[in-house]
Amino acid sequence: MNIQTTAPATVATLSMTGISKSFAGVAALTDVSLEVLPGEVHALLGENGAGKSTLMNIATGTLRPDAGAMTVRGEPADDLNPREAARRGIAIVHQHPAVLPDMTVLENLLVALPSTVFPKGVSVEDTASALLARVGLRVHLRDRVEQLSVAQKHLLEIAKALAVDPALLVLDEPTAPLGQESVDLLFALVRRAVADGTSVVYITHRLAEVRELADRVTVLRDGKLRATAVVSEISDHDLLALIVGRQLDSTFPPKHVAGADEQPNLVISGLTGRGFTNVSVQARPGEIVGVSGVVGNGQSDLLRALAGLEPFEGTATVGVSSLSSKELLARAAYLPADRHSEGLMMRLSVRENAAVSALRRFKQRVLMNRKRELAMVGDTLGSLSVKAASMDAAVSSLSGGNQQKVMVARALLSEPILVLADEPTQGVDVGARAEIYGILREVSASGVPVIIASSDAKELEGLCDTVIVMSRGHVVDTLRGDAITEERMIHAAVSSTTRTVSTDDVREQDRPPTARALGFRRFMQGDYAPAVLLVAVMVGLGAYIFSTNDRYLGDFNIQSMLLLVSALGFIALGQTIALLTGGIDLSVGPLAGLLVVVASFFIVEESAATSLVLGFLAMLAVSIAVGLINGSLIRFGRFTAIAATLTTYIAVQGVSFLLRDSPGGYISGDVSRLITTKLGPIPAAFIVLVAVTIGLEFALRKSRWGWNLRAAGSDEESARRVGVNINRTVVLGYVATSVLTFGGAIMLMAQLGIGDPSQGVTYTLSSITAVVLGGTSLLGGRGTFVGTILGALLLVQVLNATVFLGLDQMWQYILQGTLILAAAILYSLARSRRARRTKKA
Amino acid sequence: MADATTPKALDSARFSVSKGLLTVAISTIVLFALSALVAPSSVSQGAVLGMLPFAAVLAIVGLGQMLVVQQGGIDLSVPGAVSLAIVVISHQPNGDDARLLPAVLTSLLFAVIAGALNGFMIGRLGLNAIIATLGTNALFFGAVLAISKGIPRTVTDLLSHVAGRLTFGIPNSVYFALVILVIVTVVVRKTVAGRRFEASGASPAAARATGLRVRTHRGLAYVWAQLLYAIAGMLLAGITLQPTAFQGNEYLLPSVAVVVLGGTSLLGGRGYPGATVVAALFLSQLDQFVLALGVPFAVRTLVQAAALAIGVAIYTVNWKAVRQRFTGRRSQAVPAGS
Repeated sequence: MNIQTTAPATVATLSMTGISKSFAGVAALTDVSLEVLPGEVHALLGENGAGKSTLMNIATGTLRPDAGAMTVRGEPADDLNPREAARRGIAIVHQHPAVLPDMTVLENLLVALPSTVFPKGVSVEDTASALLARVGLRVHLRDRVEQLSVAQKHLLEIAKALAVDPALLVLDEPTAPLGQESVDLLFALVRRAVADGTSVVYITHRLAEVRELADRVTVLRDGKLRATAVVSEISDHDLLALIVGRQLDSTFPPKHVAGADEQPNLVISGLTGRGFTNVSVQARPGEIVGVSGVVGNGQSDLLRALAGLEPFEGTATVGVSSLSSKELLARAAYLPADRHSEGLMMRLSVRENAAVSALRRFKQRVLMNRKRELAMVGDTLGSLSVKAASMDAAVSSLSGGNQQKVMVARALLSEPILVLADEPTQGVDVGARAEIYGILREVSASGVPVIIASSDAKELEGLCDTVIVMSRGHVVDTLRGDAITEERMIHAAVSSTTRTVSTDDVREQDRPPTARALGFRRFMQGDYAPAVLLVAVMVGLGAYIFSTNDRYLGDFNIQSMLLLVSALGFIALGQTIALLTGGIDLSVGPLAGLLVVVASFFIVEESAATSLVLGFLAMLAVSIAVGLINGSLIRFGRFTAIAATLTTYIAVQGVSFLLRDSPGGYISGDVSRLITTKLGPIPAAFIVLVAVTIGLEFALRKSRWGWNLRAAGSDEESARRVGVNINRTVVLGYVATSVLTFGGAIMLMAQLGIGDPSQGVTYTLSSITAVVLGGTSLLGGRGTFVGTILGALLLVQVLNATVFLGLDQMWQYILQGTLILAAAILYSLARSRRARRTKKA
Repeated sequence: MADATTPKALDSARFSVSKGLLTVAISTIVLFALSALVAPSSVSQGAVLGMLPFAAVLAIVGLGQMLVVQQGGIDLSVPGAVSLAIVVISHQPNGDDARLLPAVLTSLLFAVIAGALNGFMIGRLGLNAIIATLGTNALFFGAVLAISKGIPRTVTDLLSHVAGRLTFGIPNSVYFALVILVIVTVVVRKTVAGRRFEASGASPAAARATGLRVRTHRGLAYVWAQLLYAIAGMLLAGITLQPTAFQGNEYLLPSVAVVVLGGTSLLGGRGYPGATVVAALFLSQLDQFVLALGVPFAVRTLVQAAALAIGVAIYTVNWKAVRQRFTGRRSQAVPAGS
């Protein structure tokens, strides 16, 4: 069966022999061997699920094989992990780029690449620009990655992979999101890399690309090696024959026999939406429509649009009436491919899941009729032979096949006018597959149109009466009757040369007119825009108050305001770190109080110097301990940040009261005076605060600590993939939060002058307020320390203003509340306008 | 698998007890038993009758917080909302029973407006719940001070009777809490809207895919919550007779604590009303118990923190994996890396 190749004389870049791998007893790879030679492009072909990605995950150390041996450049590599693989010069470009949306292009490069990539003597910007120029990515280094198009993110990912001059570069379907120009560019890049001696493994579904780029090709099917061949020596026909021909174990129900004069009950014409264009198909009653193609070519988008979840143009007619998105949302039943996140409510029971779309049917006057619900849901579940412990069993406890049946039950109970099933048998065992095919056929026979999207061509061949084949959002073939064969579908999908519909091309980005306008826009979208806004508000407010009362800018008022800012400022800096990691620290307020109480035992009148030192050390130790507890509860106890820090909030307050049940222990006047020393009208502490802020800001932008911190908060999964140690980063982040709170506590100590267990708690909310005003996002990954300090200043200024303007306490609250909400709404609107940001879970 | 054996019809239990309810109920029983043994004075008739009204208020506030939390939100405007109800009900009638009912209506109207404000910002504008409710809390306190000028007033006799008296030996506020518990439970579990509300919280993505109005449910949760806070505030005013404008502050953290202790995840999901109410009883009795022991206030706080930590850890930590890890290590049965 294997087509022989000439034996290579050189040492292979990567050699895999006899690789096997199974997942939960299901074989994904069986005895697969692959050899990649220096300087060759080796294409890896096969259907979805043929084992291509699994094989490459083994090659890059993400997965361990169950059996088999590997060598990299002649040296055995049997216990490979991603880090080790990278060290040996293996780089992979995943289908989903591991980029951090909140960080800039430059920072994405810095956080992901080893520092050896950036040679000394050359500016980091120059090196980074060269990396981008190499892949033809024309973006500014300071652009935020979330603003990049999908194609640009891919190029960035490729730039990262090429930056380490890999010996082996694995590209996993790299052209899927790219437009024509980008594809040409990518090919040129691959050729250049190959000319420099890099070996490339190129995973694809497209024969045209294989022909254009690859020297040799390996075909996998059902986890087994079909053949390795020299591309120029094998015909398309032979390649296709190697790809298709999978055995399917399931049996299919007989197909529909259409009457000659039947009118179609489903007419889709000229449907265009995001991800697909000009899709037309029709079906007569009893017919099942299949949507074929390689995963991610618009099939799911089409189904989502038909389910009413996304807008579309064109018409979708069921029966005689053309349906709007809204009607479809209410009356079509949609079975998403991703059962876990979108298909089912995993925390709810089987009954609740099945009933959720049909609740009105069980209503009797006001309340639901339990008997009716149980009877109807039970009947439907029974007719689908759903196997579960009871109707009350959590749907997450069911097998994949039974979960799918619960989704079908939900669809049937809702009495839909159209059923849309995306990958209905994914992760379903063989027996249940046959049952699901039977059910879908029955639904169709009852007159409800059924559309099924599947990447499994064999399945569509067995099940459907009409099949459209999609490639990059276009329908490239429409098959009916006997023409519906796996060969035809795969042929249409892999030999298509259409390009992506979405005009998501790298070069098609509109070029703004002037560099200055561009710079302004970049600044407005950057992290520092809130800071400028705050300064403007503060100057305006200050000018107004000064015009009514000239004592406002007197030394005394400035001093007292800045002293207040110093205490709040340190704590708010700490809170900023917690928020940057994507968390929150509610315990900062009580912690500040506790630290003052601790101080009140050591740093009192007539304390010896050792006692003073001991006091500060004790405060530091307590703060570190609290930070460690917070971080550990969150990372290792899997508490939410709110739950964890709420617990420590209460506990820390308890400890304060344990140490002192009433105020006591006068803080040493000398120490207090030292802390509140002034240089002119400015307290020294405030100068320290500014210095710390600048230092932290610098670290946040320019040090690995800062990149890691923001990476962890921006996108945990991507951060992990680029090598950030999330646990350590976050736990140390909370320690830093507490240590900065220690700084605030020193200021508080001087202000209070006594150990009072009930003080400090208000700093929790005011610190959050200051941080929010400063523009730091509660979603993590984005913010500035400078903004936080300005936020603290504004907050103190507003409270102070009420005194000067003769406003009562009520206005303090109203101004504070208005300020928070105005900032939140403003920043949120600014953000949503610019973002097409992928939603965080 | 498509064989001759017909699968048995699936059944459904009429009543089910959640893990949260079971845990918190057992803890409460143990706590009362411990109270009776160690500090009998904490379960004396006087102590219990003193504790129950406050437990009832906390239970109602907790139910409101639960509705918000189960939609993946959090409501930090509890203090402002409770205080607002307190000042409206104590200031507007100014001791005149005849003006009590209008005051109640005013209070509920304020609650709807407050809830709509929160709900609009969070459900529609997509603001972070923490920021939005932090802001509105300050606004509510602004309104509190505008109405009260910071001066407490005595409530009307009627309110103190309705909220503070006993009926059949049980404080009236307890009946209020129970009726509200029943209403919340029935509405959430037994009406179409309630079931959809629950589904939206359990999985916003899946709810959206089935066509539910997730954002509307999320926003409305804040309205329901505010209504409950208002009722709790009015009861609290009646119980304390001369309430202060900042009395609501004491309910923010406990309201989150009872929700968490009741087993509702702060990430959203299903809400457990019964367990939340029992958790309110638990926390209140814990106070009594520690008070009766004569230990300082500090210990009480620490015990609360411990209860909360254990309460959360029961749900978050994968104890099975922890157990396996330890037994596995001991017997060396599991290979490294498992």
